[in-house]
Amino acid sequence: MLEIEVNGTKHRLDVDPAVPLLWVLRDSLGLKGTKFGCGAGLCGACTVHVDGTAVRSCAFSVGQAAGSKITSIEGLSASGDHPVQIAWREGGVPQCGYCQPGMIMAAAAFLKNNSAPSDEEIAQGVTNICRCGTYNRIRKAIRSAAESVEDGQ
Amino acid sequence: MREPVLTRRGFVTGALVTAAGVSFTLSLAGCRGKAKLPDDSEPGVELISWVVIHPDNSVTLRVPQTEIGQGVLTTIPQMLAEELEVDWSTLKSEFYDPAVNAARENVYVWTAVLSSHSAQTLFEPTQRAGAQVRTMLIRAAAARLKVPETELEAVKGSIRHKATGKELTYASVADAAAKMPIPDPKTVKLKDAGDRQLVGKAIPRRDVDAAVRGKIVYGIDFELPDMRFAAVRQSPTFGGKLRSVDKGSIKGKPGNPQVVEIKGAKVGYNGPVPEGEDPDIWAAPVKMDDAVAVVADSWWQAKTALDALAIEWDAGPHAKFSSEEYMETLAKQAREDAPVIVEAGEAKSALAKAAKTLSAEYRYPYMDPAPLEPMNCSAFVDGGEVHLWTNSQFPDDAWRIAHSLCGVSPDKAHVNILPAGGGFGRRLQNDFVHQAVQIALACKGTPVKLLLTREECVRKSYYAPITAARFEAGLDGAGNVTVWTCSVASGTSAEQSYGETRFPFQPPNVRFAYKRNPDSPLPFGWMRGVGFTQHLWMNFGFLDELRLLTGRDVPEYYRSLLNPSYIPADLEDREIAVARVRNHLKLFDFAIEKGRWNAPKGKGRGRGLAVGDTSYYPAYSSSTKAAIVDVSFDEETGLRVDHVFLAVDAGTVINPDIVHAQLEGGIAYALTTALLSEITVENGQVQQSNFHDYPILKLDQMPAVTIEILPSTEPPASIGEDAVPVTIAALVNAIADAGGPRLRSLPVTKNLAN
Repeated sequence: MLEIEVNGTKHRLDVDPAVPLLWVLRDSLGLKGTKFGCGAGLCGACTVHVDGTAVRSCAFSVGQAAGSKITSIEGLSASGDHPVQIAWREGGVPQCGYCQPGMIMAAAAFLKNNSAPSDEEIAQGVTNICRCGTYNRIRKAIRSAAESVEDGQ
Repeated sequence: MREPVLTRRGFVTGALVTAAGVSFTLSLAGCRGKAKLPDDSEPGVELISWVVIHPDNSVTLRVPQTEIGQGVLTTIPQMLAEELEVDWSTLKSEFYDPAVNAARENVYVWTAVLSSHSAQTLFEPTQRAGAQVRTMLIRAAAARLKVPETELEAVKGSIRHKATGKELTYASVADAAAKMPIPDPKTVKLKDAGDRQLVGKAIPRRDVDAAVRGKIVYGIDFELPDMRFAAVRQSPTFGGKLRSVDKGSIKGKPGNPQVVEIKGAKVGYNGPVPEGEDPDIWAAPVKMDDAVAVVADSWWQAKTALDALAIEWDAGPHAKFSSEEYMETLAKQAREDAPVIVEAGEAKSALAKAAKTLSAEYRYPYMDPAPLEPMNCSAFVDGGEVHLWTNSQFPDDAWRIAHSLCGVSPDKAHVNILPAGGGFGRRLQNDFVHQAVQIALACKGTPVKLLLTREECVRKSYYAPITAARFEAGLDGAGNVTVWTCSVASGTSAEQSYGETRFPFQPPNVRFAYKRNPDSPLPFGWMRGVGFTQHLWMNFGFLDELRLLTGRDVPEYYRSLLNPSYIPADLEDREIAVARVRNHLKLFDFAIEKGRWNAPKGKGRGRGLAVGDTSYYPAYSSSTKAAIVDVSFDEETGLRVDHVFLAVDAGTVINPDIVHAQLEGGIAYALTTALLSEITVENGQVQQSNFHDYPILKLDQMPAVTIEILPSTEPPASIGEDAVPVTIAALVNAIADAGGPRLRSLPVTKNLAN
């Protein structure tokens, strides 16, 4: 038995510790907002927070996550109004939307460590793939979310 | 079709609810089997296939296209609702049912997500359908109120008597309306453009809230109780056969793994073929190799068992195939024996008389469209029925595959469309549907979800065709192009000669040759921008090489070939060709001004320009666009794309924000295509496998983008693919302008490194 806390709820799971956290979230816990894109930690569609740090959950075993607090897109904010989500909505960022949960989780973790990033820092800090190419809206939304965090909103 | 039909399309699994309360529903007709399929149908009255009015006066609109990111869940309702007069915030939408489309003789007009057709093809039919429904509701209300129709108007889901203000909701007259004669779509009155409330507005996408909360249910997310999950390994070589599989090798592994052998097959064609037309001209056959699936209680268990499964393959006839050698074969064929398909003037003598001639060879590698959501499909076969849940870009054919493979009558096949995490052409090939149905047939009574790994997706995709092109042109003493010839040899593909022949920058003497070499074992697939993506940059690259011989100015030189008098007098559809040249000239002027072509550039900077369309054939309604790309280039630090300007004349724009998004995304797609993408094959096997060796553009490589839409009241034209070809073309010329090399093959980064 293995214990993880996901979005504030503790789960005791009878799973092989080698299973990637992604598949435990999606299939054992039914949290489908975290996406599978590459299975090798290359695209970031599966990004979640493990103890506040952005982690690519397709290449991170549930065993490694044992005892940790995990936040997935479903738990980022109860009503979908995290500053990053607000900025994403207002900026009309998503096209197909598939990468966006991971992108939003990556951006939220990035802003926690750097609340006033430069464009260069954003480009180096958010390395997820968006195949639809929404990058300029992503950059703008991160700047806008940073400003709203700065303003204490 | 006259009878009111109770909608049976209300079944919801993981109904997707946006901030506006808009729900997107999946549909499923009644189903019997061991696995119970939930039935949560919502009652309502269907009016002419497009609209369902529910008892609470909410309205569901049918969207006859899969949402792959192009925004059809917003743009098609915008067009339909424009004439229907309903409250936008309370609208629901659902994807069409391919079985209904077939039974009603293609009532949804154009359902394949292919060649940027949604706005141009559905603009008239959707508005007219909305107006037909409105007219039927008004007639029913007129009968109820015993007043002339002219005294009534439709306002936000109600019919209002103008004089008294009395209102009847759509729901209260829907049953009666459904019994009214269907008005002739040609005679219903549509609004004047200036009176439109929805079309032309930058309405936020209806799925944006669900997207940012991770609540969109994509194909990969669909699930049913008691579902089992399949992972698949396909023949590593193209055309290879399954020799043997040692089922005992995974005995006792967790998740009750079951091995299913999937037979290679010709799946169908990768696009609709008009009646009486040659399928080989309009589409390409979709061939699928043998594969082995493992089905287990979870996908990870299935994948893990599959990894341990001992499989032996017969590598087949292409075991020695090398893309590098094949490219040389194509280049030789382009030089020597591609048949001439179009000739005007006297190319041979014009070349002989030219003051100067130039020839060059351009090459394009195989590419995988690589949408981010891996291929998947859910299927359930039981009790003589088959159900599919798929985000295919070609659902009509998914439905055909389902009933024909299962041997059931067409009405027993139910296809439920789900949104896709990108498509870019890949999902027009329904190999993954065929595989899922084969697996479900082996697991009757149990719903099964097939999901491919990224590695399987990259190694067994449907690829943009490898191509070699040989150009030769002649100039007169003043540097004017007097003759232009191009000879192309391309690997197995659909007919794509339009990439060379429909380049409108043509002098009076031209000759085009084209050979489709059938020996590529890699199956062909559509990829965003298709033949224009492969050829437009070659055309502009060679044109710029000619210009550099003359020292003439870029816009002036390119424009000199856009001369209506150069179009042969006897050309079929000559008027269309002349209009096309004029559209190019108009965009030229617009782009030069708005894109600040003449603004100074710094040292080590380069600027490239291209104007084009995606006019596959004369009657195709393509937008025209121009790209101006600015780059920095330095031998030491390499290449940086600084800015991309894009001007577009797309006719009437349904939603300017979605047009902007499609063009921004198209620029990123173009940059990945030009800078990074290449699939190579050795010993019959694709050498790439995932995003480390088949990279996709990232945020740090994305340039600033400026987009200008030319105002227009013409009918809508294509958008989805349109930024790709011109961006690549302008980029390659910008690199040369910055002092970089003249790139004659892609990807750019590889060729800069060499």
